Amino acid sequence: MRYSETLIDHFRNPRNAGMMREPDGVGEGEYPECMDLARVYLRVRDGQVVEARFQTYGCGPTIAASSAGTELIIGSPLGTLVGLTGAQIESAVGGLPEDRVHAAEVVSAAIRAAARDALRRMARS
Amino acid sequence: MNRRVYLDHNASTPVHPEVLEAMLPYFGERFGNPSSVHAFGREAREGVDMARERVAGVLRVSPDEVVFTSGGTESDNLAIKGVAAARGRGHLITSAIEHHAVLRTCQALETQGFDATYLPVDGDGMVDPDDVRRALRPDTILVSIMHANSEVGTIQPVAAIGRLTRERGIPFHVDAVQTLGKVPVDVNAFGIDLLSFSGHKIYGPKGIAGLYIRKGTKMLSIQHGGEHERRRRAGTENVPGIVGLGRAVEIRGRDMAAEAPRLTALRNRLWEGIGAAMPEVRLNGHPTERLPGTCNMCFRHVESESIVLGLDLKGIGVSAGSACTSGNVEPSYVLVAMGIPVDWAMGSVRCSLGRSTTAEDIDYVIESVVPLVAKLRSLSPARV
Repeated sequence: MRYSETLIDHFRNPRNAGMMREPDGVGEGEYPECMDLARVYLRVRDGQVVEARFQTYGCGPTIAASSAGTELIIGSPLGTLVGLTGAQIESAVGGLPEDRVHAAEVVSAAIRAAARDALRRMARS
Repeated sequence: MNRRVYLDHNASTPVHPEVLEAMLPYFGERFGNPSSVHAFGREAREGVDMARERVAGVLRVSPDEVVFTSGGTESDNLAIKGVAAARGRGHLITSAIEHHAVLRTCQALETQGFDATYLPVDGDGMVDPDDVRRALRPDTILVSIMHANSEVGTIQPVAAIGRLTRERGIPFHVDAVQTLGKVPVDVNAFGIDLLSFSGHKIYGPKGIAGLYIRKGTKMLSIQHGGEHERRRRAGTENVPGIVGLGRAVEIRGRDMAAEAPRLTALRNRLWEGIGAAMPEVRLNGHPTERLPGTCNMCFRHVESESIVLGLDLKGIGVSAGSACTSGNVEPSYVLVAMGIPVDWAMGSVRCSLGRSTTAEDIDYVIESVVPLVAKLRSLSPARV
């Protein structure tokens, strides 16, 4: 198996899977070359992520990265997530083969978009 | 430890114990070069000659019409480029769902001044012989149509196509890598002039294959060197491989009739079990004119690689129709040519059964696939 044990664990037992009702922020990340799509939902309290959920269409690494990425960001200040990188997601999933690095990019893009959406909503309210 | 179930026999098969037994002496005491005149060489030559006779016997052709090569890809290249080289220019006809060994060879010849027509297929993956008839031109030098497609298993109407080519005296090449030893292949009844076949798809070793060349077929060698294979394929023979191929073909000739209905029943059990257990799944390929052990399915709203990974974790080996390479994923060109929508084609999985497959294996696969696809769909943002 060329995937890390962490990745396999997240693929086997995805954490935070499924949609969220009335989220404080929603964002999507796409990788058109691969047709991968990740959607991330955030619940925010006092500027911190208290709950994150995902829905993902893609290969096993993208599903695992979605699980690991949502787990990573719970407890994080919203402001830090707009600068989240693919490398941070890749690290959270225990590394990715070179031809699967896009999995981390899709998920980090979805999280950044969700954080920006939450910040916009907070600014409006 | 999970149960292990191998359902990827169209990709490769394990070497049959009787094949291995036949090969082993040729790695040891019978190691000679078959071109050598001494006893060591003669022993190796006997092995090669015996294998050629075995293959010819199953094909019901003359042994000197059988050439050994390094693989199905080389057989296809030799057939197509060999005929093209003998003619110098002209028009080739093939189909859109051929193996890349045929498609890319034809494309390469197009860059050298040859013309090529790539025939479409219908929704079952079948070439229409009338399309072949309409594509024939006065300068057509070769028709190359596979006997059965490796992905979906649809068996082409090669006999009808062979009648057309024979009427016009045009050489007919058939890639039978997926069919020899699985379904009847009769080069005379089908009007075939060139037939590619391979060892590792039929419980023989990898790195060995063959090409049947009907006597009188005008072609040139594409590999130059010694006088091997009657000057049709230069290079010292892969003696253990050839011996293994000969034995494998012989065993398939013996076992095929009993195995085909057994695999057909198991293939149908697999599809019926999965098809009845979930929505948004379709069977690809012709419903009846299909390789006995091939079951290709599309699971909508799921990417095939995630199914392959999930099944791999359950000890099950199948193959994905769409492949993610260097970050790009392409739906199967075969399924696209069949008109299957991309959102379905992205979730295609091929199960190919073989001699070791049991009903218990099939039931285990059904029990594993159904909850896996349901789980992956529950993760997907697409609505099911």
